[in-house]
Amino acid sequence: MGQVDSVSGQDLREMFSAATSWLEKSASDIDALNVFPVPDGDTGTNMLLTMRSAMEEAYQAPDRSASVVAQAMAKGALMGARGNSGVILSQIWRGLAQGLLEKESFTGSDLADALQQSSVMAYKGLSNPVEGTILTVIREAASAAQEQALNGKDDLIPVMETIVKTANESVANTPSLLPVLKEAGVVDAGGQGLYTILEGALHYLKGEIEQLQLRKPWMIASNIPLTVRMPQMVAADEVPYGYCTEFMLKGEELDPDGLRLKLARKGESLIVVGDESTIRIHIHTLDPGTVIRYATSLGTVHQVSIRNMDEQHRDFLEMQKEKAPAGDVATIAVASGDGLSDVFRSLGVAAIVPGGQTMNPSTKDLLQAVDSVVSDKVIILPNNKNIVLTAAQVQSLTSKSIEVVPTETIPQGVAALLAFDYEADFETNAQIMKKAREAVRSVEVTRAVRSTKLNGLDIKKRQAIGLLDGGLVAVGDNTADVLSEVLTKLDLDKAEVITIYYGADTELAEAEQVSLGIGEQHPQLQVEVVKGGQPHYNYIVSVEG
Amino acid sequence: MTVKIVTDSLSDITSDIAPELGITVVPLTVTFGKESFLDRVTMTTDEFYYRLVHDATWPITTQPPPGDFIKVYNKLAEETDEILVVTLSSKLSGTYQSALQAKSMVEKECRIEVIDSLTVAMGLGLIVITAAKAVQAGANLDKVADLVRRAMPRSHLIALFDTLKYLAKGGRIGKAQGLVGALLSVKPVLTVKDGEMSPLTRLRSRAAGMDYLYNFVAGFSHIEELAVEHATTPEDADSLAERLSSVFPKERIYRSTISPVVGTYAGPGAMTVTVLEAEGD
Repeated sequence: MGQVDSVSGQDLREMFSAATSWLEKSASDIDALNVFPVPDGDTGTNMLLTMRSAMEEAYQAPDRSASVVAQAMAKGALMGARGNSGVILSQIWRGLAQGLLEKESFTGSDLADALQQSSVMAYKGLSNPVEGTILTVIREAASAAQEQALNGKDDLIPVMETIVKTANESVANTPSLLPVLKEAGVVDAGGQGLYTILEGALHYLKGEIEQLQLRKPWMIASNIPLTVRMPQMVAADEVPYGYCTEFMLKGEELDPDGLRLKLARKGESLIVVGDESTIRIHIHTLDPGTVIRYATSLGTVHQVSIRNMDEQHRDFLEMQKEKAPAGDVATIAVASGDGLSDVFRSLGVAAIVPGGQTMNPSTKDLLQAVDSVVSDKVIILPNNKNIVLTAAQVQSLTSKSIEVVPTETIPQGVAALLAFDYEADFETNAQIMKKAREAVRSVEVTRAVRSTKLNGLDIKKRQAIGLLDGGLVAVGDNTADVLSEVLTKLDLDKAEVITIYYGADTELAEAEQVSLGIGEQHPQLQVEVVKGGQPHYNYIVSVEG
Repeated sequence: MTVKIVTDSLSDITSDIAPELGITVVPLTVTFGKESFLDRVTMTTDEFYYRLVHDATWPITTQPPPGDFIKVYNKLAEETDEILVVTLSSKLSGTYQSALQAKSMVEKECRIEVIDSLTVAMGLGLIVITAAKAVQAGANLDKVADLVRRAMPRSHLIALFDTLKYLAKGGRIGKAQGLVGALLSVKPVLTVKDGEMSPLTRLRSRAAGMDYLYNFVAGFSHIEELAVEHATTPEDADSLAERLSSVFPKERIYRSTISPVVGTYAGPGAMTVTVLEAEGD
């Protein structure tokens, strides 16, 4: 479809059916985002189940006008709504159905108008609407759609593109509006879910249905950088959550607004939506009995679900642990220099303790890092001879299990970390990493802090000195020359990879020059130059093979 | 009547052994921009990798529509009343769904069993080959389906990627996404776990990667079948097979190329080894 002037009920159905499949692919990722209003960890699943119910009803719609299909979707969504996000989603479809009332098919501006109603309806269902959630996303998307439609573009695709683009930005911005998200470093899960649905619908409109098959929706990243790296993804919150209580009330001449007022004092996260014959209620309460009893006095109660959220919260924490990058084992590395820290982080360490040659971290520094990670099995990479012992003290101060892989240099630390086996258990990994440490040679080039004689070398203060695996083997005036000299002491023909981490006081151009020289003499070698940014050491070089 | 075996082109079962073992291979579709090709039918794997590297457009792979399976089922139903279909992991493609949907639309009376192998490439291929051999030895549908289910946990595939570039470009494939973003060039080793690609470890050099593949195979004491696959480097597969001849007869090693669907993520230079472990007592 290059241009889509209007869309029939059948297309509406196919479009959101495709969107539901699209959502399905990221439901579990969305679950993991869930920190608001309580960490019950199932927003993605709830939205998916709600969408499925909506689509099942849509396929049973009596005719294929947009109006009738939208009504059916709204009804299906209301009947199958699960959780906060599901209920709000059902309100969005209800608004859409109202907006498309009596329409055989709809255009871009019809969609913009209907979404406006969705937004109004979504807010209306909540006793206490909170910004930085799916509500903000639908409101901003709807108003952007209005603007696009007013600009005279009635073609559906540009309107839908605007909706999706705005929703994306809105989701990325949710942490700025809602502190609990900011603290956890995630975007709002419900917002992400809505965005994914809209994006799936857009793919369908653009005829990109095949692309949906083997791909997965992108998860939007927060637009505010996480200032403190928080391995623990859940915001601290001591409030007991009570019971998540959901049910449907059927009767005659029911009064949703009256009921909402009545239940407002019974708990939190209250949602009351519906009409005079059917009302869906969602509330987090410490006393579900009273709520249900009151409801039974007004009509008949259906699809009752009461879940203990404290248990859910515990399950959620468990789930988060599973999502930690290295399974249930966390690795902590000591490193200084922004470049080296980035390298370790990119390879999956859970925390970096700043330190190195002249800045040995304390046992307490290491202990704090151990405590900060989610996992209770921690591998420490000291990456310096003078820190290995300190690291060994940590075990006596924590109930967590600690393994110290006694890496004495940065190259040893990187080699050990790379060898991490995702399938192996904690102890096995410690063994694998210890072994990997031995397979790398480390070269370091620094400046002498005083004059001395060592290993038959006459060294003057400030001269460049070269160390091979910690032993002094070369001296000279120029750091690059000293590095080259140390490398001649190794059998580079048998090596495969050389990585040069250049320090804070060293120019990239000089490091590149050294790299070129090695490449010319040993063409089989893979030579990489990486910014280390470490203080004191002009070069730290690993030789692997 | 003899059971007929059907699989998809991601089994990496090549056209030289499929007819001999009586296996019908249903191709997936590979699309570059507006051009669509049937995997290994209208496009060779060599052509695929050439375009993967040189084309500006990113390839999209699509499961066979149910109609393709219906045609195959109807044709086979002329000769048999029992068909076993083994597809690649349902978590990597909708092929399993297609094969399943097609079941109810077969015209003739025919029992069709569809199994989701939860694996891919020769991980799937070796299972299918074993099934085909059992059929040749006279196994009926129930027996061969049971054999396939028991073979699934014994099929171990690992893949060495030469680069993370294609994995990063192609979006997410399960937990393997955690490998993307490394600041050092690394060669990841992946496996298939619970039907999805999942990281195993990372190595700095290709030589270390080849050692890893060798040691993986050498770690098994009872190997029933063994496969070595490459994307664009047959010479590496040759030397690996040569090395592996110390642990398994070289002439029995199945050789194939990594199909485009996995290749989209693995990129050129990737290698796999698959061990079908012998069944214990």
